[in-house]
Amino acid sequence: MEIFETSLPGVGVRYEFDTDRGRKVGVLVHRDGQRELLIYSEHDCDSCDDIVHLNIQESASLVELLGGTKITERLSDIKHEVQGLSIEWVTVEAGSPLAHRTIGDGKIRTASGASVVAILRGDQSHPGPGPDFSLLPGDIVLITGSAEGVDKARHIITG
Amino acid sequence: MQIDLALIELGVIMLTLAILGRVAVYFELPTTPFFLAAGLFFGQGGLIPVEESAPFIEVGATLGVIFLLFMLGLEYTPRELRQSLRTNARGGVVDIALNAAPGALAALILGWGAQAAVVLGGITYISSSGIIAKLLTDLRRLGNRETSTILSLLVIEDLVMAIFLPVLAVMLAGGSTVGALFSGAAALGLVMTVIVLSPFAERHANRVLNTESPDVLLITLLGLAMLISGLAEMVHVSYAIGAFLLGIVLSGQIAERARTLLNPLRDSFAALFFVNFGLGVDSSALINMIVPAFLLAIVGALTKLGTGWSAAKMAGASRNGARRAAVAMVPRGEFSIVLAGIGVAAGVTGDLKSLVVSYVLILAIGGSLLVRFVK
Repeated sequence: MEIFETSLPGVGVRYEFDTDRGRKVGVLVHRDGQRELLIYSEHDCDSCDDIVHLNIQESASLVELLGGTKITERLSDIKHEVQGLSIEWVTVEAGSPLAHRTIGDGKIRTASGASVVAILRGDQSHPGPGPDFSLLPGDIVLITGSAEGVDKARHIITG
Repeated sequence: MQIDLALIELGVIMLTLAILGRVAVYFELPTTPFFLAAGLFFGQGGLIPVEESAPFIEVGATLGVIFLLFMLGLEYTPRELRQSLRTNARGGVVDIALNAAPGALAALILGWGAQAAVVLGGITYISSSGIIAKLLTDLRRLGNRETSTILSLLVIEDLVMAIFLPVLAVMLAGGSTVGALFSGAAALGLVMTVIVLSPFAERHANRVLNTESPDVLLITLLGLAMLISGLAEMVHVSYAIGAFLLGIVLSGQIAERARTLLNPLRDSFAALFFVNFGLGVDSSALINMIVPAFLLAIVGALTKLGTGWSAAKMAGASRNGARRAAVAMVPRGEFSIVLAGIGVAAGVTGDLKSLVVSYVLILAIGGSLLVRFVK
């Protein structure tokens, strides 16, 4: 996917891209960090049907809701570079064998060969958690490794 | 100056501006033309004479020009200037050729001579970046594709002004053509140096000038702006250009803070500047100039339409986008007035003030309406 970047002198920077279904979406980043979500018109691709103004916190929340974080963005870049590298997000359900237990308890690395790279809890992220990190229901675990290893690790977490 | 009377006069003037400002906001129009018109009501030949506060208004008007140009320089980062020049240089050239010509020709037809032709050419050339940027924001068009072209053209216009103002200053001071060319080259060199060296200047300026305390920073900026403007005026480069170059040099964090700190000062003193300009216009002369101003405004609107349209087309905009870009370039405002002020102060022949007041009134209001209604 190609993201176009346009500088708007005195205002900020505008980023935009075309979706698979032919719509154009953009984000205008003002110099002071405020953002505007731009929904371009279907009939006139040069103008916006709707502009939603977001403060810094609101845009962070929107990013969370859309399911991407900076970490995923970076990781998908790495994924392109390292062949065979697999990355997966696994949610710790309430009934998971690892809920309320530490990462070390699951012996994920020894059993599967894959590594836990980060944990997302609410709007906080914990990159590089140690073996004594306790998992809670609702946590999202980011695992990388070979496809097979990641698959095994997922089974350990989901049970 | 009798302080009580001076304060009462200023109070009445400011409140009149406040009421007119509300009218402007109600009709979603720029305030500049309303403040100009207010100046026509006061002063000689107007309804209410201004006597005691006149010296203060005059100094205030000078500060208004300094703040207007200082903030203009702060507005753009050198990176944006470089980028605009790279992507829209051709549009910028078309802009100069199409829009300086009507003013220059009009001055010659009116028999005002070569000096007035140069000044009036600048006046019809420069669009109002203040009015246009605000319109685009209010109409939620910042996301539109043609907007980057419009903003780039405005940036280039402001850069051209940086070179044009010193040339004008020398020419009006009665200098020779060689002298004018020399000062133009010097200004060009200075601007280019500033653009190239600014990454280094930025680091040092930020380190030396920045302070945690907002009031100390504000005083620092005011001192610098006035000192440099004064020095520029002393060497006949016009105080306006000194303030503008200072603004370009400052960038990064300090520019961000300076914008917030100076904004209210710019708004108050620029208002005084517009009023002061209107004060100097004789209402009977204004009536004589209405027809020429109207014709000039029509031609000036048409040439800007052509400029915006062709630049947007070159940038690959659709028909709708090009149409919006065309009308967006029409409004003229603060900088046409600044130029006229410089011309008048230098004693250019001809009734520049009356012509330009009507010209800007027509194009600031008419242009804004045009931008609003062409979607």
